[in-house]
Amino acid sequence: MRVELELAALPPGSRRLVRAGTVEVAVFNVDGEIFAINNVCPHRGGPLIRGLLQRTEAGPVVRCPMHGWAFCMTNGASVRPGRATVYPVAFHGERITIEVEAGSLEVPR
Amino acid sequence: MEVDTFADAALARLTDAELASLVAERASWSLTYGPQDLELVAHALRCILHAERVPAMRAEFEALAGVQHRDGGFAPRSADAESTVWVSAFCALMLIRGNAVLASEPLARSVRGAIDYFLDTQERDGRWVDPRWADLDTTSHPVSFFNVVLALGETHRRADVERAWRAGLGFILAAQAGDGGWYDAEFHPSGVEITAHLIQDALVAAVLLEGRADVASSCARGLGKLRSVQGASGSWDDDNVDHTMDCVRSSMLVARLLARHAPETLGDLAGGSEPGWIDRGLAWILAAKNPSGWPDFPGMESNLERSCDGIDTLIKYRAYLGRDPERLARLWGYAR
Repeated sequence: MRVELELAALPPGSRRLVRAGTVEVAVFNVDGEIFAINNVCPHRGGPLIRGLLQRTEAGPVVRCPMHGWAFCMTNGASVRPGRATVYPVAFHGERITIEVEAGSLEVPR
Repeated sequence: MEVDTFADAALARLTDAELASLVAERASWSLTYGPQDLELVAHALRCILHAERVPAMRAEFEALAGVQHRDGGFAPRSADAESTVWVSAFCALMLIRGNAVLASEPLARSVRGAIDYFLDTQERDGRWVDPRWADLDTTSHPVSFFNVVLALGETHRRADVERAWRAGLGFILAAQAGDGGWYDAEFHPSGVEITAHLIQDALVAAVLLEGRADVASSCARGLGKLRSVQGASGSWDDDNVDHTMDCVRSSMLVARLLARHAPETLGDLAGGSEPGWIDRGLAWILAAKNPSGWPDFPGMESNLERSCDGIDTLIKYRAYLGRDPERLARLWGYAR
């Protein structure tokens, strides 16, 4: 499944929540770089779209607002016993597309 | 919303309606239907306990005991093999409190098994560790369980329990910051939820159980910290429903118990300032509710865990309106 967004709708420093079917995707523009991550924290289901963005030497991380689990926005890795799902983003002129693989994406609440 | 107090009858109707929804959704949280997320199970059973429906739900407590591991602990998901501390404490709390009503020997054995688990897993410096939670948060849960063990007069390994309980309290007290809050740079940078957890779940019971003046002072400073960071809307942590419910519940219990047992610690937290601050928090929580329950943030879809927290908050607020500190303490299991 694919989600399309106008780049103008996501200026640097902003974030948007988009849906691909029943899957919620949190999309962030961090200094011009676009990251897409499943909105549901694998810990207790907190909304990553409301998370705290932090820049680290390894790249940006998003920290869940509920209990603080942090995820690398590039690959979803965490030092906690769980991993967030990230999605590839492609640029097409003034539009971006996010490829949301069907199947393994929904975390039950 | 400007509210001083809420009509008890209206709150009772809302609580009953939410409880009815919870029971109607039993297949989503009940172990009698199959494997479950045990933290969700424990959230639901806490509502059952506080709604005084334990005898009718006996099978739920027996099913919870049925997924306990040989080491006395529980896993985050009931079908998983590895015990972890946080969820084990939440489950153990439901078992000991449920069994205070049911008086079942098999459940009593489960409680003793849980005591063994926490005695076996405590670190040398008094903390407990769970990779899913901050160490301070994790430690608050077994301490809370031991609070109830001591309050209810459970005698299994009593001397060991008292020693472990004091060590856990010591670990928490030593970590309090100068501004009265507790912080974890990784899990809880704002310190709000962790402070709310620690003063209600771990610390304040020691004021009841032993009249500890140092703990009363620590709780008062923690309470002051919570009040100082409440948002203008009445919420905490930028409209975080979970954290606001934690702060309201914590503030109700600690304010009432300190007013009864250590009023000298409260300073300007006593008297006129207390009602406005807690009631504004509850007003915000009520405004954040969806037709189907509570979400993590206003405008989102509700979820069962947060809805259980909402029910628990309503029940405790009604007790808070009654102004009887012992009634509130019973809702944490800290009094018979």
